Amino acid sequence: MFDLVAQSVFSGLLAGAYYALIALGLALVFGTMRIINLAHGELVLLAGYIAYTAESRFGLDPLAALPAAIIIVALTSVIIYLLLTRIRVDREINSLILTFGIAIMLTNGILMIWSADIRSTTSGWYLDSIIIGDTLFAMNTEILFAVIGVLVVGAVWWWLSKSWYGRALRAVSSNRDAAKLMGIDPRTTEILSFAVAGLLASIAGIALYSGKVIEPSLGHSLTIKAFIITVLAGLGSVPGVLIGAVLIGVAESLTATLWSSALQGLVSMLLFLIVLLVMPSGLFGRTRRRG
Amino acid sequence: MMKYLSLIIILAGAYLAVPLQFGGNDYVIGIVVSALTIAGIAVAWAMLGNLGGMISFGHSAFFGVGAYGSALLAMNAGLPVFPSILAGGVIAGVVSILTMPTLRLRGPYFALAMLAFAEIFRILAIEMRWLTNGSGGLLSIPRLPTVFGFDFGSRLGGYFVVLTLVLLTVFVYWLIRNRPEGLALRAMHDSEDATLVVGVNATRLKAAVLVVSAFLTGIMGAFNAHYINFLEPDYAFNGSWTTLAIVAAIFGGYKTLWGPVAGALIVYLVDQFVFKAIMPSGHQLILGGLLAAIVIFSPSGLLPWLASRFRKEAGDAAHP
Amino acid sequence: MIARMISSVLALTLGLGAANADELIIGSQIPLTGSAARAGMGMNEGIQVAAKVFNETNGKHTVKVITIDDESQPAKAVAAIERLNAQGALAFTGGYGSNIIGPASDAAERLGKVYMTSGGVATELSQRGLKTFFRISNATGYAKALAGLSDTLDLQSFSLIYSTRESTAEVAKLLEEIWTAEGKKVTLHPFDPSIADFKPVLHKIKLQDRPEAIAMVGYENDYVGIIRAAKVLKPDAKAIMGTWSLATPKMWQDFPDLMNNVYGTAPLPYPAQFNTPEEQTFAEAYKEMHNKEPDYLGIFGYVQGLLLFNAVAEAYDAGTLNSGGVQDALRKTEHDTLIGKVIFDESGDNTNFAHRMAQHQDGAVAIVWPKESATAEARFPAVPW
Repeated sequence: MFDLVAQSVFSGLLAGAYYALIALGLALVFGTMRIINLAHGELVLLAGYIAYTAESRFGLDPLAALPAAIIIVALTSVIIYLLLTRIRVDREINSLILTFGIAIMLTNGILMIWSADIRSTTSGWYLDSIIIGDTLFAMNTEILFAVIGVLVVGAVWWWLSKSWYGRALRAVSSNRDAAKLMGIDPRTTEILSFAVAGLLASIAGIALYSGKVIEPSLGHSLTIKAFIITVLAGLGSVPGVLIGAVLIGVAESLTATLWSSALQGLVSMLLFLIVLLVMPSGLFGRTRRRG
Repeated sequence: MMKYLSLIIILAGAYLAVPLQFGGNDYVIGIVVSALTIAGIAVAWAMLGNLGGMISFGHSAFFGVGAYGSALLAMNAGLPVFPSILAGGVIAGVVSILTMPTLRLRGPYFALAMLAFAEIFRILAIEMRWLTNGSGGLLSIPRLPTVFGFDFGSRLGGYFVVLTLVLLTVFVYWLIRNRPEGLALRAMHDSEDATLVVGVNATRLKAAVLVVSAFLTGIMGAFNAHYINFLEPDYAFNGSWTTLAIVAAIFGGYKTLWGPVAGALIVYLVDQFVFKAIMPSGHQLILGGLLAAIVIFSPSGLLPWLASRFRKEAGDAAHP
Repeated sequence: MIARMISSVLALTLGLGAANADELIIGSQIPLTGSAARAGMGMNEGIQVAAKVFNETNGKHTVKVITIDDESQPAKAVAAIERLNAQGALAFTGGYGSNIIGPASDAAERLGKVYMTSGGVATELSQRGLKTFFRISNATGYAKALAGLSDTLDLQSFSLIYSTRESTAEVAKLLEEIWTAEGKKVTLHPFDPSIADFKPVLHKIKLQDRPEAIAMVGYENDYVGIIRAAKVLKPDAKAIMGTWSLATPKMWQDFPDLMNNVYGTAPLPYPAQFNTPEEQTFAEAYKEMHNKEPDYLGIFGYVQGLLLFNAVAEAYDAGTLNSGGVQDALRKTEHDTLIGKVIFDESGDNTNFAHRMAQHQDGAVAIVWPKESATAEARFPAVPW
């Protein structure tokens, strides 16, 4: 029994770090601009398919596809931002429709380009198992991207709270006009945050492709997962994303071990609800008034 | 005056012209029925969104509960179909009480909490095999009956039923909006402090709107179950019931009375009749582009945009 | 104005369907987008090959297949049937997933036209008393194949991992009944379709169940996830087996490191030995049209298509198209097909449906059960890890 639970928690931690990677891009844009990018999952998926093409066509390692993925996905992300800026009224609500429309286009575009077949890496190293102390099992790719996930969360946190751009971004998000007066160009900082969100989606997409299976209809569920974690974390909290993601990952994994895998979704959603009812602004959300 | 005239024209068109023109074409009527089903959810959703200021991502929960409730009552308790549709709505309304703790959440927190409920209900419907037959679902759910010699189980019969349901939904919405409570609610999400001063119990009003919205959504779910005669958890609690309704409502203008209906009809019918003819597979690509374009060019939704083009009635529709 | 616009658009779209009078129009309602797109495309390829073969070999009639994408949604599947009907379809084929086939075949029944499919296995589909519903495959056939192979291999205990979707849960339920009745030990592990990490489940199987065999009922992405987790945890089982979409050349091609020694259901071995003239015609036409080896979805699509085309042609000749001639033609005789004899009973089920079990053997897909169709010995005990 101890072995089972230990492995379960270990799997859950790894899954959590991976979920954090998926969620981070959405959380960044949401936290800084109050825009829910419903096409975020599709961006992650797009990066996964770029890795697939790089691997199957050119024999490249999935990670080697990262530069190409970043260019394409970050560019797409910036295009989404530029379209969003065209919305003149009621941006929070209308951005839902706009990004939903883009998500539909991306899903169908991916289906047309890459067909409905399932894809996943065939590079042996990623899938080889790693055994820690005879009791904990994982695939190399899970460890690799869990480490990357934690590092990226740290980097984004540092970037937002310590760097000039990050502070500028936060200034813009709390008071656009005041930021302007201080000589910050809101547009540049916001473009930057979308580009970084695209970069984060690219890393997540490579993690997805090299550990799981991708198919064109997957994007929507990735968006939902990312969104759940973002809200659980509390808007704008970067460390919260990691903690929320790990909480969900461990809860799912323990449910599968102690109960049934069919109830994973039930337990993680109940957990989500309970946290929100106890902490209405999420784990690390500041209680702030609207207006 | 113009308002009543156009209402009469719409009603006459819906009850007379459409059946006369397309009554014999089950395909066309079938698509229109699907569009109206979305329209009904969209109105119920917009009611909560506009009056309560609450954006829900989980209305499929009420749709599914209403559908299962009505189907099971008709199949197991032998309840006639029309009463059981009503009962399905009531069950959805009662179930919405479970979700009331989420009313203290704001914005995206509320939206996602509702989504969590929808997901929980979906999994419960899979797991409660003794009641719902699990993922196998329910086949051969009783059709709408024949009343006074008219077969409501036919495509055209279904059309009249869903049309009436949607119109009743709009009517209920209109009634609530024009009551003092409705005005208070709308004032509220401009400034909650204002209502505190006025002395309105905001949470209780929101709860009431939630119940009504869930009831109306449940009715649409129940209708759909008897119309398509089949249910399974993935279908009944499918997130697309929510997303399509949201898209339709915002697209049409969710702050207007008729916007959600117009949005649902246009999005669904144009997609199925025009885009699908142009591009038989993958036509959603065009739909996605259209949605994006509309939001950019007409951010308040389609109806207000149309209204502003016909200046005369602008004041009426855009600022109800 | 709007009404006129809509009706002119309709006239345009409906007008496309007007075909020559001597052509037999068959409606095909198939998911080409949405969640069932993968299966729908495979089945569609088979149906197209069937039309080509029929048109080249029949001599007397030609068929025209009109295909409408149902977008993997029940309401749109029903609409597709009604639209195909308006375009003059004499009968319908297609459909994937019992949840979509159910309402679509209901609509076909109301129109009094035959609905033929291979994509829905739920037992209840053929218990609705429909007269015009036919299918060549069912859940029992899949369950029996897995149970038959396990008997031959003399396996006594199983861990059964299955998706909570409708058709997978159905096959799993039947398997559990068969194995329990035979006095074998079965532990159930249902999983939600959205799960990607199977390590917790496999770890339980390894430490608690310790079965002789692991059985999977799911789809390609589930199989990949399960076998990957098994490769990491290495449970001490003698065999791993699954149902559809597993013992296919495509799975080997995409996931060679996962597939060796895995058993799955398959209608034909690979490389296929096409012996009879019919098999050869099929294989050549398939290669020519789609430039790849036929898979099981294509084979099923081909069989369902050809059965239907022949029945419609027969009813047309007899002048009984409108008086139930198509269903009579399907019911009255045995049909020799690529998947063996097909015999339809009153409910439209193919009573003769039995699947074969194949095993991935170093790139080949060898039929190992039943004995009379076996192309190779089963490798046993053997697992991919």
